[in-house]
Amino acid sequence: MNVIFFIEVLIGGLLSGVMYAMVALGFVLIYKASGVFNFAQGAMVFFAAATCLGISETLGISIWWAILPTILVMIALGLATERIVLRPLVNQNEITLFMATIGLTFFLEGLVQALWGSHAKALDLGIEDIPLSYVLDNYNIMISQFDLISAAVCALLVTVLTLLFSHTKTGRALRAVADDHQAALAVGIPLQRVWGVVWAVAGIVALVAGLLWGARNGVQFALTFTALKALPVLILGGFTSVPGAIVGGLIIGASEKLAEVYVGPLVGGGIEGWFPYVLAMLFLLVRPEGLFGEKLIRRV
Amino acid sequence: MSGSSKLDTDEVILDMRNISLSFGGVKSLIDVSFDLKKHEVRAIIGPNGAGKSSMINVINGIYRPQKGEIIYHGKSRKSMHPYYAASTGIARTFQNIALFRGMSVLDNIMTGRNLKMSSSMLMQALYWGPVQKNEAKHRRKAEEIIDFLEIQHIRKTPVNRLAYGLQKRVELGRALAAEPEILLLDEPMAGMNVEEKQDMCRFILDVNDQLGTTIVLIEHDMSIVMELSDRVLVLDHGSKIADGGPVEVRNDPQVIKAYLGSN
Amino acid sequence: MFYREAGQFKTTYQSDSALFPILQDKIGVLVGLAIFFLAIPLVATPYLFSAILIPFLIFSLAAIGLNILTGYAGQLSLGSAAFMAVGAFATYNFMLRIPGKPILVAFILGGISAALVGIAFGLPSLRIRGFYLAVTTLAMQFFVLWCLTKIPWFTNYSPSGVIRAQQVVILGYVFDSQVSRYLLTLSIVSLMALMAKNMVRTNLGRSWMAIRDMDVAAEVIGFRPLQTKLTAFAISAFYCGVAGALFAYTYLGTVEPEAYSLDLSFRILFMIIIGGMGSILGSFLGAAFMTLLPIGLNMFVHHFSLPMTLASNLELMTFGSLIIFFLIVEPHGLARLWQIGKEKLRLWPFPY
Repeated sequence: MNVIFFIEVLIGGLLSGVMYAMVALGFVLIYKASGVFNFAQGAMVFFAAATCLGISETLGISIWWAILPTILVMIALGLATERIVLRPLVNQNEITLFMATIGLTFFLEGLVQALWGSHAKALDLGIEDIPLSYVLDNYNIMISQFDLISAAVCALLVTVLTLLFSHTKTGRALRAVADDHQAALAVGIPLQRVWGVVWAVAGIVALVAGLLWGARNGVQFALTFTALKALPVLILGGFTSVPGAIVGGLIIGASEKLAEVYVGPLVGGGIEGWFPYVLAMLFLLVRPEGLFGEKLIRRV
Repeated sequence: MSGSSKLDTDEVILDMRNISLSFGGVKSLIDVSFDLKKHEVRAIIGPNGAGKSSMINVINGIYRPQKGEIIYHGKSRKSMHPYYAASTGIARTFQNIALFRGMSVLDNIMTGRNLKMSSSMLMQALYWGPVQKNEAKHRRKAEEIIDFLEIQHIRKTPVNRLAYGLQKRVELGRALAAEPEILLLDEPMAGMNVEEKQDMCRFILDVNDQLGTTIVLIEHDMSIVMELSDRVLVLDHGSKIADGGPVEVRNDPQVIKAYLGSN
Repeated sequence: MFYREAGQFKTTYQSDSALFPILQDKIGVLVGLAIFFLAIPLVATPYLFSAILIPFLIFSLAAIGLNILTGYAGQLSLGSAAFMAVGAFATYNFMLRIPGKPILVAFILGGISAALVGIAFGLPSLRIRGFYLAVTTLAMQFFVLWCLTKIPWFTNYSPSGVIRAQQVVILGYVFDSQVSRYLLTLSIVSLMALMAKNMVRTNLGRSWMAIRDMDVAAEVIGFRPLQTKLTAFAISAFYCGVAGALFAYTYLGTVEPEAYSLDLSFRILFMIIIGGMGSILGSFLGAAFMTLLPIGLNMFVHHFSLPMTLASNLELMTFGSLIIFFLIVEPHGLARLWQIGKEKLRLWPFPY
C-alpha cells in the first residue's frame, strides 16, 4: 500500500469532510435553537450560491462584491422561513416540522431554478484548485490549496460563531433558547426574534458553504442532494453539537473517500453514494444518540 | 366501604420484595416490599416524588429494578416485561393520559381487546366471515364497557377532542377491555371535578365488586383513599414508611410528618 | 337533503362496521366503480390512459403502501421507491429465469421480495426511531438502488442497464393495448385497496395506529412493537413492490433503476401528505393530485407562452408550498377536506 497515496486520499477526504461539516453546522444551529431538523439546509446552500452568482452576473460585479447583497437575501430568507413556515407549526411534532422543511427544500429548488436557470454554472472565487507546491515538492504529497483554504475558512467560521455565542447578549439568548424554550420565555427572551436570528445566521453559513462548494463542484441542482450527506454527519456528531458536526464531517469525509478508493474498485465503484448513510445507520444501532448527542430518557 | 369482610381469601397474588430502582444517581425506590391480595383495593400514597408511579411502572414492566424480586403467579422474577404483564392479566392507566390520539373512543377501547384477538393477517385483509364475527364479538364486549362507563354518546369521537375527565374514563375503559386480573390506576381522578370523581369512584368500586378485579390505586385525595381502599401503602422519598389499613395508616405519626399538614 | 343518514339504523355491529355504512356512500362507490370499469374504457383516449389513468392507479397503490407505513404505523420512510424497484426487478427476474411462470404470480413474488427487503429496512426500528429511522431508510434507498445498478445479475448482464419488460400475457391474452393495461392495473389496484381498507379497520390497523400514537402504552396493552413495525414495513413494501412492478410492466415498458430514484420516494411522500396520512382515500386523492398538477401547470405555461422549463420549476415550487400549506392548515390532507365536505352535505340545506 502506497503510504503517500493513502495520506493524499485521507487528507482529501478530511478536507471534503470540512465541506460537509459546514453544511452540518447550519443544521446544528437551527436544531439547537428551535428543535427543527432543517432538511432544507442543502437547498439553502444551493440558493445562496446561485443567488450570489446570479447577482454578480446580473450586475456585472465580481463574486466578492455580490456577497454583501446575498447576505441580505439570506437573512431575509431566514426570517421569512421562520415566520411563514416554522411559526405556524411551532407546536407540532418533529416529524411534521421535518416534512415542512422537505416541502421548503422543493420550493427553494424550484425558485432558484426559475430565477437563475437550471444548468450548472461555474463559480470562480479566484482561488485555484492546485496542489500546494511546498508540500508537493518536499513531501511528494498533493494537497489542494483550495481545500486548505476551505478548511481555514471553516475554522474561522466556527471560531467566530463560538465567540458570538459565548460573548454577546444575542449569543447568550440563543443558548438559553436552545436549553429550554419555556424558561427563556419566562426570562423575557423574545423567542421568535431569536429564532429569526438563528435562521439568518444559518443562512449566512449556508452562503459560505455554498460559495466554497460551488467553486469546487459548480453551482447546480445536485448541490441540494449532495448536502443530504450532512445527515450522516449529524448522526455521527449529534444534532446539538458544533464540535460534533466538525468531527462528524471529518469522519464521514475521510471514510467515504477511503472506502471509495480502496473498496470501490472491488465492487464496481459508486460506493460514495450510500457508504456514509450505511455507516451512520450502523452507528445508530450502537449509539442512537450520536457521538456527542444527549441521551434521551423517556419518562412515562 | 373498606374492610376485610369482603375478602374471601387472604391469597397473595403479587409479592414485591426489596425493590430498589434508580436512574443514574437518582434513587427512585429504596428497598420497598409489599404484597397484593386477591380482590382487594390497594392504595399507594405519598408526597410528590415519593416513587409511586415508579412502583407501578415496575409492576408493569416499564421499569426494571436494579434489585429485588417480583413474585407473580407463583413464579419469581427479577423484573417484569410489559408483554408478559399484559398477557397474564395486568392492565393499567397512566398519570398523563396515554390514549391513542388518532383513534376514536371505540377504537381505543378495542385496542384493549388486542390480546384476546387472534386472527391471521391474510384473514384480516380479506375480512371474511370468521374475522367479521370476531370483530363483532369483541365489539360487543367493548360496548358493554362503554355502557358501564356511560360514554355511549361519544363512542365515535376522536379522543383528542374530549374533555380531560372523559379521556381518563376512556383510558379506564381501555384497561378494562383486557379483562384484567390486576388493574393499576395511576391517579385516575387527577384533574377531575367533584362530580367526575364521584363517578370514577363508583366505577372503580363496581369493577372491584362485580368483576372481582384486584386494584392498585395511586391517589392523592385522602377522602377517596379512605373510602375505597382495603389497605394502604405509604411511600416517601422512595422508601416505605407505612403499610396497613386506611385508618391505621392515616393516624401513623410518620405519615403525618411526611405530609406535614395536608388533610 | 340527499346525504342524510336519518332512518338508516344499524341493527348489528357488523353493519355498523361495514366499509360504507351510509347507503349513499355505497351507491357512490358502486357508481364510481362502474365509471372506472365500464364507462371510461369506452370513452378515454390512449393518451388519457397512458399519461393519466395508469400512472394515477400505480401511484395510488404506492401511496397506499407508504400510507400504511408512515400514515398508519407512523414510521417515516424515504425509501418507498427502493421497494418499488425491488418489486420490478424481482418480477423481471422471476419471469426471466423460471419459464412458463404466470405473470400475476410473478407480480406477487415481486411484492414478496420487496416485503423481505422491507423487513430488512425495518429491523433498525427496534433501536432507532423517528427522524433517525428516516435517515436509515434513506441509507437503504441509496444502497438498494446501487445494488440494482451495479450488480449485473439483476439486469441480466445488459450492457445499458436498461431492460425491456416482458410482455404481460395472462391465459393467452396479450395485454399490450392501453385499455387492457388500464383494466388490469385497475383490477389489481382495486383489489389491493380493498384489502388495505380491511386491514386498517381490524386489529392489525389498530396495532399500527397504537404504535404510532403511543408506543409505550401500546406495549403495555400487549402489542409487540417490533412485530407490529416489521409487519407494517413488510406490507408497505409489498404494496410498493407490486406498484413498482406495474410501473415497469404496464407503464414504462422497461425495467430501469433510474426510474426509482430518491425523487420518486419524495413524490410518494408528498402524495400522502397532500392526500391525507392515515387514509386510504387520501392515497388516491394525493396520487390524483400529483398526476394532474404537472399537466395542469404545463397547460398554464403553454397558455401564457412562458418557457417550458418554468413548468417543471413551478411544479417544484407548488408542491413545496402545498406541503407546507397542508401541514399548517390541514394535516390530514385532502381526505379530511373531503370528509368535512361530506359532513356539510349531510346538513345541506339546513346548515345550523
